[in-house]
Amino acid sequence: MNRAMARRPEARGALQRADDLETRTEYLAFLLGSEAYAVQIGSIAEILKPLPITEVPRARPSVVGVMSVRGRLVTVLDLKRRFRVADTTEIERTSRILLVDAPDETIGLLVDEVLQVYRLTEAEVEPPTALGGEQLAYVAGVGRPSDGSVLLLLNLQPLFAE
Amino acid sequence: MAEHGGGRGDSAGDKAREEFFSEAQEIVDGLSRDLLALDEVSKRGGSDAELVNDVFRAVHTLKGLSSLFGAAMMSGLSHELENLLDDLRLGRIELSQQVLDLLFQSVEAYGRILAASKGDAPEPAAEVKALLGALGQVAQQRGGVAATPFTQYELDPGMLGVLTEYEEHRLRTNLQAGLSLYRMRVQFQLFTIDSALDELKAKTRPHGEIITFLPTGEGGDAESVELEILVASRTPLATLRTALGGPNIVIEEVSRRPGGRPDSLAPPATGLPPAPYDDGTQTESGAAAARTSAPPPPPSIPSDVLAAPPFASPAAPAPQAQREPSARELTLRSVTQTVRVDIRKLDHLMNIVGELAIVRGSVAKLFERVRGDEELRDVATDLHRLHRAFERHLTQMQNGILEVRMVPLGQVFDKLARIVRQISREHGKEINLVITGSETEIDKLIVEELSDPLMHMIRNAIDHGIEEKDERMRVGKPPVGTIALNAFQKGNHVVIEVEDDGRGMDPALIVDAAIRRGLVDESDARELSVKEALAIVFEPGFTTRDDVTSLSGRGVGMDIVRTNIGKLGGVVDITSDVGIGTKMTITLPITLAIISVLRVEVAGRTFCMPLASIEEAIVFDESLVRIFEGREVLTQRGATLPLAHLDKLFGLEGHRQGVYMSDAPTPKPPPVSPTGRKPRRYVVIGLVADRRVGFVVDRLVGQQDIVIKALGDSLAHVRGFAGATELGDQRVGLVIDAAALIAEVLASVGEARQLVHEPRVDAGGTL
Repeated sequence: MNRAMARRPEARGALQRADDLETRTEYLAFLLGSEAYAVQIGSIAEILKPLPITEVPRARPSVVGVMSVRGRLVTVLDLKRRFRVADTTEIERTSRILLVDAPDETIGLLVDEVLQVYRLTEAEVEPPTALGGEQLAYVAGVGRPSDGSVLLLLNLQPLFAE
Repeated sequence: MAEHGGGRGDSAGDKAREEFFSEAQEIVDGLSRDLLALDEVSKRGGSDAELVNDVFRAVHTLKGLSSLFGAAMMSGLSHELENLLDDLRLGRIELSQQVLDLLFQSVEAYGRILAASKGDAPEPAAEVKALLGALGQVAQQRGGVAATPFTQYELDPGMLGVLTEYEEHRLRTNLQAGLSLYRMRVQFQLFTIDSALDELKAKTRPHGEIITFLPTGEGGDAESVELEILVASRTPLATLRTALGGPNIVIEEVSRRPGGRPDSLAPPATGLPPAPYDDGTQTESGAAAARTSAPPPPPSIPSDVLAAPPFASPAAPAPQAQREPSARELTLRSVTQTVRVDIRKLDHLMNIVGELAIVRGSVAKLFERVRGDEELRDVATDLHRLHRAFERHLTQMQNGILEVRMVPLGQVFDKLARIVRQISREHGKEINLVITGSETEIDKLIVEELSDPLMHMIRNAIDHGIEEKDERMRVGKPPVGTIALNAFQKGNHVVIEVEDDGRGMDPALIVDAAIRRGLVDESDARELSVKEALAIVFEPGFTTRDDVTSLSGRGVGMDIVRTNIGKLGGVVDITSDVGIGTKMTITLPITLAIISVLRVEVAGRTFCMPLASIEEAIVFDESLVRIFEGREVLTQRGATLPLAHLDKLFGLEGHRQGVYMSDAPTPKPPPVSPTGRKPRRYVVIGLVADRRVGFVVDRLVGQQDIVIKALGDSLAHVRGFAGATELGDQRVGLVIDAAALIAEVLASVGEARQLVHEPRVDAGGTL
């Protein structure tokens, strides 16, 4: 898998001394294939290494299956299949599962790799209209942190409502 | 509504509200039980002051609680009801059928108000308004109380003067009933007075009724007090003395005065206007006339008019003040020593037990590893002992949690008793409902889901089962129909029977009706057994009645009954004898949380099938498979068994991966026997409510008790699974919903049959 586009900023110092007067929102960035995505960090309850996931026959293709996290049943979704950038679910050594709280259950989001936390200023977030074309409910905007990466910011609620 | 949303960010206020609603529900349930008991008593022509009091107290508490929480509709209703009940316990109105009806309607209204508060239903505003109107009407009928000459008794005028209106009423009623009056003087130690008094009350209860108790103001000192207790009883003085007597108790009979001279302290009720009691005010116009023309306006003689003079008497205000709180405050305290627990919390505990079971498994494995090692022999012995102790305690804990989830079936039976009463009144069919085994316990979640199906069954029994009175007399049955509701435990199951002594179900009529409605082919119908014919009533769209009554007969109901019971892992059976009656039997697992399953393997995946819905498992002999109307079937014990390959049903053919793991070992290929023949497979015969389907699986793994967990909302669209469970090794196994799969398979059999049918007709062939 080509991960060349995943930019791991070496210069964390630049972020650290960032101007505290500005409102910053924290995002967790991760890879789906070769693209970098991010969600607000507050929506993530936990990051897990993959546990055995049992496939659920007849479920939507984006459902990887169910797993048990300390006795709690978690439905795992494959965002790549949800976004139609992959046809099969692949779990690698770098894969992680982000646990998020949906209204009535806990959902696990399967991602290929967790990158880092970005603290974005309002100026670093472009509205979803910046992408042009058809507006997707789950796209919250585009993040352009100072290290030059481009993050597709996700809005998770519409994904649960399906 | 908002207070039930999702359980997140609940403030303390929301929690208190939630508790209020659940406490209110408990009180309403108790109210319903008391009313049913009262109904029984009144049917026998009696009355029970204590029950009326209980009902009054319950409503009083509801009123207090609901106004505290701003539940206006509930507090408004409680207020009116309280007035009615007050009139009732003071004998100002009679416990008539009409009044009982109103009380039962009020319980229903409370139920709906509570449902509305959970957001399950709209607020029953119109219903409550009508009810309030009706309650007001009854209040118009209240009469005064005929004076009874207390003067005949040697009673202390001071005591008579401080009797509350209720006490006066009870005294009067008891004297009218010819009971004797006793006066007890009892010394109480101040620091034990509460418990000692309760004890004395309990001892007195079998003999009679305590009318009142007052401090005498004599015989006491700094640490004790003397009470005078007035008791009405049928028991002779000597017996009473033996039963209650003690060193500090003096009992004497209150003697009658020879002449009964007029006494200035006679109740002032004599001066009241005559009661508009039985003079036609029950009708609308009569009531209106009474309102407009009757010279002394009868609308509600305010209770304080009646009570005022004795209260105004300044005889002993102090003891009055002392007694009041004990009676009133008690009613606001919670009655039982119980804790209400959200069932989700119990589920959480059960999950932890599940986790511990996995730890236990690991300990067992560790023991296996060290047991062979000579050097570690001591460690192995210790580990073994620890493991055994762990296991024992874990089982106890599991059983303990399961026990907590259990509630008596009486919870739902009480509700049914109310419904039976209501329906039988509406339809003029007298029904005697006999309940046994209401103490039988079952999982809380099951109880909640049971009330609808049972209600359908009982409605059917009343509407279709029990005949009209004339018809019953004609065939020599007692005019009053009987419905028996029996519950008992049978192994790991609870059995509930609904039995009526009505006309029974005629299989021939059922088959006819089914043919008319196109549910069965005429040719198939001939081959149906009696049992199969009776089972047709569970088919969607079946009914034998042509008229649609408000009860049932709409052709819906029994199929829902079967579906709902099936969802709980239960089955329904019918037996019926024409002219004698019908019995429906529901068999349910005791708990939903833990079920026994058979683990099976299909295409490398493990699934759990609830044992409750498995008839048996047999070796799959492909040579016996016949193709019948496009479907694979086996002949099993003389009956046709449709087959379904679980791998095809679940779309698992071809790909063999069942569990995703980062370092997944390649899944084992299915076992191939050394002879090179195809591996042996099995047929698991699923049986839910008389419907059978054989599921073909690759391997039987074994039987296991599992803790079942619901799948999340995001999998709500997936059919065929009842939930999932942990299998150990952190792996999750899916639990098959046998009822749903069987229905699905049989439905597709129906489609296949139609497809096969049509070409034959086209070919002009005769059937």
